[in-house]
Amino acid sequence: MHAKITQMLFSVIDELNQLRPTDDHLEKNLETPLAGDYGRLDSAGLINLIAVTEQKAAVELGRPILLTDDRTLSQVNLVFRTLGALADYIHLRLNEKNDG
Amino acid sequence: MENRDAMEIKTFTVAELKTALESENFWLTKSLPITKHRALSYSRNPRADEDDTVLLVAYQDNRVIGYLGILPDKIFINDVGYKLGWLTSWWVDPSCTTAGAGAILLFKALNAYDQYIGVSGGSREARKALNASQRFMALKPLQGLDIRLRLNVAGNISRRHPALKIFRVLFKILDAMTDEVVNLRGFIWQRRNSQCQRLTFEYIAAIDEETDRFIQQHHRHDLTRKEKSDFSWIMNNPWILSAPLKDSASKRYYFSSRADRFCYLGVKVFEHHNEMIGFFLLKVRDDRMSVMYCYFGSRHAASITAAAFLHALAMDVSILSLYDEQMAASFSELDCPCWSARKNSRGFSLSKAFADIPLANCRLQGGDGDLAFY
Repeated sequence: MHAKITQMLFSVIDELNQLRPTDDHLEKNLETPLAGDYGRLDSAGLINLIAVTEQKAAVELGRPILLTDDRTLSQVNLVFRTLGALADYIHLRLNEKNDG
Repeated sequence: MENRDAMEIKTFTVAELKTALESENFWLTKSLPITKHRALSYSRNPRADEDDTVLLVAYQDNRVIGYLGILPDKIFINDVGYKLGWLTSWWVDPSCTTAGAGAILLFKALNAYDQYIGVSGGSREARKALNASQRFMALKPLQGLDIRLRLNVAGNISRRHPALKIFRVLFKILDAMTDEVVNLRGFIWQRRNSQCQRLTFEYIAAIDEETDRFIQQHHRHDLTRKEKSDFSWIMNNPWILSAPLKDSASKRYYFSSRADRFCYLGVKVFEHHNEMIGFFLLKVRDDRMSVMYCYFGSRHAASITAAAFLHALAMDVSILSLYDEQMAASFSELDCPCWSARKNSRGFSLSKAFADIPLANCRLQGGDGDLAFY
């Protein structure tokens, strides 16, 4: 499942990069910083990332995930620190759903 | 890189904002998340409940790094009322753009109102962020007119080309001369225009019974259906104060909190034998007058437009802004003296929670700039 999530996030990055100048493209790498002190996304960029990720998760993983609930919003700088951290978080949330 | 504390988002309900108004600490931050008179206005909003969220503030290292105001309101569609919040004064410290504050504030606002949120106007950055969220749908924009009555060369040059301020005296002389031309053309227009001769006015600082009845007869298609208490609140609790100089608060608050001249004026319009044919609420801010809300029957559109134009002439404003399609259409028929009349539009968006609700034939009034609703 983790590999599928990573692929889904890479396709999110592809979509985000279409709106960014070529010299500011985000790398498809789990270490790519998103939000926080070293983050690459401004407010609009992070909002876009969240919206596109929710959309693609539903289509590519076949599982809806909400990244705008209070639990996620209370730890934005952890969840969106890097692409890898986001992948881990999505994995965690989907597993919780399975367990529930 | 220095160690930073985690960002903290504080939510203020109406009740909590009232407490904050009395607190000294709340007003000590370098950037203010709200001004006192705006906070007072929020706390007196007749459409807000005590537990409604009205302000979200992002703090980091005891600094305000972002905030978002929300104005609780109600919209009516097919006589069914829906509670929503209008986003207003959304700001993020430019040095903290990657902290995620803007995103958190937006999504927390949506959550606080069960995803029922409206937006009016806003900066290019704010609109970009709202579009990116995919949570909003644009309504048909209000189409109106910006009518330039006076050139105000001195004011415009000072704003756009500060270096030319040294010629200010010359520009003022030019303005005085062109203003005389405007006054003369206005005088002739009033004498020739039979509509103007028939009109009489009554000014009100609060909505009286007659006006209340009139508004109720003419607000059926209004999305927000403003009532007596709403207008009294708007007129008596402005977010912008008329003041000659910037005070300390206005230097620490990103959005406008003062203007050299600012007022609301309620105008009842009568024709013939004291028959009330319309009501409009004017907003005058420096050299611009806007018709914020207007109520009239279609057959009186030209008279109401003439009435608004007469007020713009009398109050010496440079620009009259109309956001009502009937008034904008009537303007060309009136042959009013002006330097130019340019089309303008004002955009509104509602969150997709309203997607299944039929919004066609609904009319929105009010709303401008800085994501503020009025």
